[in-house]
Amino acid sequence: MEQQELQKRRTIPFNEQMRILKRILTFASPYRNQFILAICFSVALAVTNAALPRIIQVFIDDHLTVGGVTIQTILFFASLHFGVTIVRMTVWYFELYIFNMASEKTVQNIRHQLFTKLHNLGMRFFDQTSTGWIITRATNDTEAMKDFWHVFLTIIQGVFGVIISLGAMFLLDVTVTLWILIFAPVLLLVIRFYQVYSSRTYHEMKSKLSLLNTKLAETINGMSVIQQFRQEKRLQKEFEETNQSYFNSRFSMVRINALLLSPVINMLYTLAVVLILALFGIDALTSPIEVGIIYAFTSYANDFFRPLTRLMDSLSLFQDGVVSSSRILTVMDNEEYVPEQEDDPEAQITNGKIEFKNVSFSYDDENYVLKDISFTVNPGETIALVGHTGSGKSSIINVLMRFYDFQKGEVLIDGQSIRSFPMRELRHRTGLVLQDSFLFYGTIKDNIRLMNQAITDREIIEAARFVQADQFIEELPGQYDARVVERGASFSSGQKQLISFASTIVRDPKILILDEATANIDTETESLIQEGLERMRQGRTTVAIAHRLSTIRDADQILVLDKGHIVERGTHDELIERGGSYRDMYELQNIGLQS
Amino acid sequence: MGIFKRLSWFFKQEKKSYLVGIGALIIVALLQLIPPRIIGIVVDEIEMGIITQESLLTWLLILASTAIGQYVLRYLWRVRIWGNAAKLEQIVRKQLFDHFTNMDNEFFQKYRTGDLMAHATNDLRGLRMVAGGGILTMADAISVGLTTLLAMIFIVDWRLTLLAIIPLPLLAMTSRVLGQKLHLRFRDAQAAFSHLNDKVQESIQGIKVIKTFGQEKEDIEQFSKQTDNVVEKNRSVYKIDSLFDPAITFIMGISYFLTILVGGWLISGGEISVGDFVTFINYIGMLVWPMFAIGRLFNIIERGSASYDRIENLLREETSIVERQGAIDRPVTGELSFELDSFSYPDEEGTTLKNIHFTLEAGGTLGVVGKTGAGKTTILKLLLREYDGYKGRIRYGGYDIRDYTLDALLKHIGYVPQDNYLFSDTIRENIRFADPSLSQEAVEAAAKLADIHEDILAMPNGYDTEVGERGVSLSGGQKQRISIARAILINPELMILDDSLSAVDAKTEESILSGLKELRRGQTTIIAAHRISSVMHAEEIIVVEDGEIVERGTHNSLLEQDGWYKDMYEQQQLVRELEGGEV
Repeated sequence: MEQQELQKRRTIPFNEQMRILKRILTFASPYRNQFILAICFSVALAVTNAALPRIIQVFIDDHLTVGGVTIQTILFFASLHFGVTIVRMTVWYFELYIFNMASEKTVQNIRHQLFTKLHNLGMRFFDQTSTGWIITRATNDTEAMKDFWHVFLTIIQGVFGVIISLGAMFLLDVTVTLWILIFAPVLLLVIRFYQVYSSRTYHEMKSKLSLLNTKLAETINGMSVIQQFRQEKRLQKEFEETNQSYFNSRFSMVRINALLLSPVINMLYTLAVVLILALFGIDALTSPIEVGIIYAFTSYANDFFRPLTRLMDSLSLFQDGVVSSSRILTVMDNEEYVPEQEDDPEAQITNGKIEFKNVSFSYDDENYVLKDISFTVNPGETIALVGHTGSGKSSIINVLMRFYDFQKGEVLIDGQSIRSFPMRELRHRTGLVLQDSFLFYGTIKDNIRLMNQAITDREIIEAARFVQADQFIEELPGQYDARVVERGASFSSGQKQLISFASTIVRDPKILILDEATANIDTETESLIQEGLERMRQGRTTVAIAHRLSTIRDADQILVLDKGHIVERGTHDELIERGGSYRDMYELQNIGLQS
Repeated sequence: MGIFKRLSWFFKQEKKSYLVGIGALIIVALLQLIPPRIIGIVVDEIEMGIITQESLLTWLLILASTAIGQYVLRYLWRVRIWGNAAKLEQIVRKQLFDHFTNMDNEFFQKYRTGDLMAHATNDLRGLRMVAGGGILTMADAISVGLTTLLAMIFIVDWRLTLLAIIPLPLLAMTSRVLGQKLHLRFRDAQAAFSHLNDKVQESIQGIKVIKTFGQEKEDIEQFSKQTDNVVEKNRSVYKIDSLFDPAITFIMGISYFLTILVGGWLISGGEISVGDFVTFINYIGMLVWPMFAIGRLFNIIERGSASYDRIENLLREETSIVERQGAIDRPVTGELSFELDSFSYPDEEGTTLKNIHFTLEAGGTLGVVGKTGAGKTTILKLLLREYDGYKGRIRYGGYDIRDYTLDALLKHIGYVPQDNYLFSDTIRENIRFADPSLSQEAVEAAAKLADIHEDILAMPNGYDTEVGERGVSLSGGQKQRISIARAILINPELMILDDSLSAVDAKTEESILSGLKELRRGQTTIIAAHRISSVMHAEEIIVVEDGEIVERGTHNSLLEQDGWYKDMYEQQQLVRELEGGEV
């Protein structure tokens, strides 16, 4: 996916751009009315814009040049001008505010739908896609949509400004207006020219800036290596080259903007004034004309040219917006959904009996990582899974948790297919304790409650007490309200484990799935954790992945897995007696523990 | 305005360029005055019926030539002033980069990568705004504002001018006040957005936990609350942001009101012509931007000087690792004697190392073993002069290592760290990092010795394969072996392996170590490791625990001591047998 996206950045064909645009516009449809209102205000703004020069023109032609104006007439025109200005000001404010809010809400809508979509995607998507990539889509790319929407506003304002000022000119003098239209193809040419030259340089500049910043970040991160090998001078030189090359493309961007942006528009405007004066002047050579019209025309010409600078300047933002949109849509179009359930709303887990019948499972439909696995765990019993990395232990959990769908065989809970339970029922009755505990930003309480508002503070404290997490929590400043910062960096890994035990136990699951931590846990909490695990298992069906075999000695059944097969099964004593690989592993660990 | 003084070194350096740019700007300001005046004159000539073909042609030619003249000069000042701004950014970025490369560990502990990156991006932008927008606004406001004002007074009428410009200072005030308000609200909105980012990051990283507890719906609700907050914060931004253009319109409206009122009065009294009136109205429009820009100027300067403060603070930081005057420039060689009484990390309580004494003869090998966190790496860091503040002495060839130049010491030590940092470059460049001029043969020889040559050949582009973020991802063992090759290549006087074979299997380790032994006959080596097999052939082995040496001796004598070393050795032997049995 990341590869595809790199290629996409280079060239998006026009048709594709339009398609993307159309789809992204559908996210704006709930706010259609606001957008329409803003556009109406845009039209009103353009009309008031055109009215103001007209007032002065009438004042000049009908009164000032005629002579004998009274103070009342002057006051009337001054007030009229001011009155329209007030209207213009008001209309302008609401146009900007309503449009900006509508686009803000559209971005919110995109974010919301994207986030909801992410939560509907299965673990396969998250296992295959880098976290950073997903986060960038949900944050930076949606934020870039805001600029994108702003470009629309600029376009709308520009287009109405041009049309209405042209219309106003037509009302005053058709011939002169037609002459002015000579500038239209010239302008289009300038715009096209600018677009071709600027977009190339703009992208070059952007990619050079990102290269520059990557290099800087990398140097900071690898500083100890650089200093150790005394390569400071060389890297300084290399960085200076990158720095210079960024400066060069930035400088050519400045040059292109200076050559083709506001200076050229300004020149064209002045030339348009030359044309206007020439046309009216030639007329005036033969017969007298109204001079106010000349003022009005020069003023309209200004309205005609002024929006173009901003319009051209925002073209590159438009391109960025299309790229961001297309990346957002790749996520929206992803179909790696959560495995489907054939919901039977009545289905409930009451006892917690688990049966695997000839289950085979593969992540890619080709290489099977579980082959023909069968076992039964009776309610309240504990089964332990043992084996090397890649033996299939984690895959059994992925199947049992419905993170992935399995291909062959049957998984039954309380005699019913695992596929028939509503996902919520399944999740609420099964408690998975993960290897590395992940803590969220918030308080201890928040982390035990984990967004389930039905859980009371009392239950939280009881759960903490049950797994003996209360001892260290009560020593914290603020106790259960103590803040968890930076993923719980201030807690030891053992303490984090205890908190996650509490959050599992507070939900009172029927089935417990334990993925034991491989990392060494500090000795202080080690015994608490062992005790906690034992207590949690009481009265619950437990599936445990164990790395330290001493912890599963009392399991009702131990499965030894190798390359997706069950190679040994039995109780601890039985397996020791058999003298297979379980026994080897056990002995090795025992020696380790003694030292 | 202090910022302009503080940046005067740059303005002086680019004096010529700025003079040309500002000169062009002033001429543009003057040329700008011509079109409204010509419009006024033509209007008057038409109205009075005195227009002739020649006069019209003259005026039009003048107008057309100012159009072209303005274009050329506008191009000139834009390129000069914005170009200079980019140049300032480039220069200060270089200063920062060079400064970073000269800083010590403490500096990088104090400022995290994210902070440093923020300074190198946001603060540089703030600075660029001062050198570009700041200078431009100041010169523009003064030249355009002043010339237009003078033109209004002398060409049209001073009474009208005085009245019409009464509301204009309001523009400057408005842009200043609104700009400040907007800045504050914008900061809030940014903060809300970054909270939202944190939320997304947390949800994606903790996706498994959320799925496990079936809390997707609740998480989406929480996310919605955050986006609501973002929308609300942005709403207050838009409330102000949408005010700028309307406020300008309003203030200009008052000006126009006064102009029409007084102008109409003056025309009816015959004191000014209709053409004067048209000229005047156009001039008023030209004053909007300079007046407004003055307000903005204050904000640019305020932010720019805050940025420059932060940059200067960084540049003022000093490294604690300095070369003494007249330091020895001769490469280190000979006996290494480590006589450390105590060392603690700066800003940290408690001693990290205590009474570490050992002597390593030239050509000898020392093994350092101990638990993670016992202080093995710290010992090596002191050797590498990452920290100088310790009690005791480390002597190399009889001289304190702090008496050598950094080149004399570090260039002759090949250190292979625990965390193998590779750069986003080809494998070849990573191996010959210390000297990119070395040949492919030399690189390959080092790679073979580090037992990574075959692995590299199996990669898609061999030695040209890119590694790092954009390239292939290497296993921990591969990274370790590339780091070893990187150190071998400089043929160091002292080679230090800091737990750098932990991710390779026992067989590979053995072949690398014996290869090294062969190659480095007569050269000094220190091996710190968790695995006893890495150090068992060393002449001396020290066992470090809690920053102190608890056992020392040769492999055999340590086994006789029946302590931690012996326990570890036996345990690891068993693992090895078992691993071997399984294969």
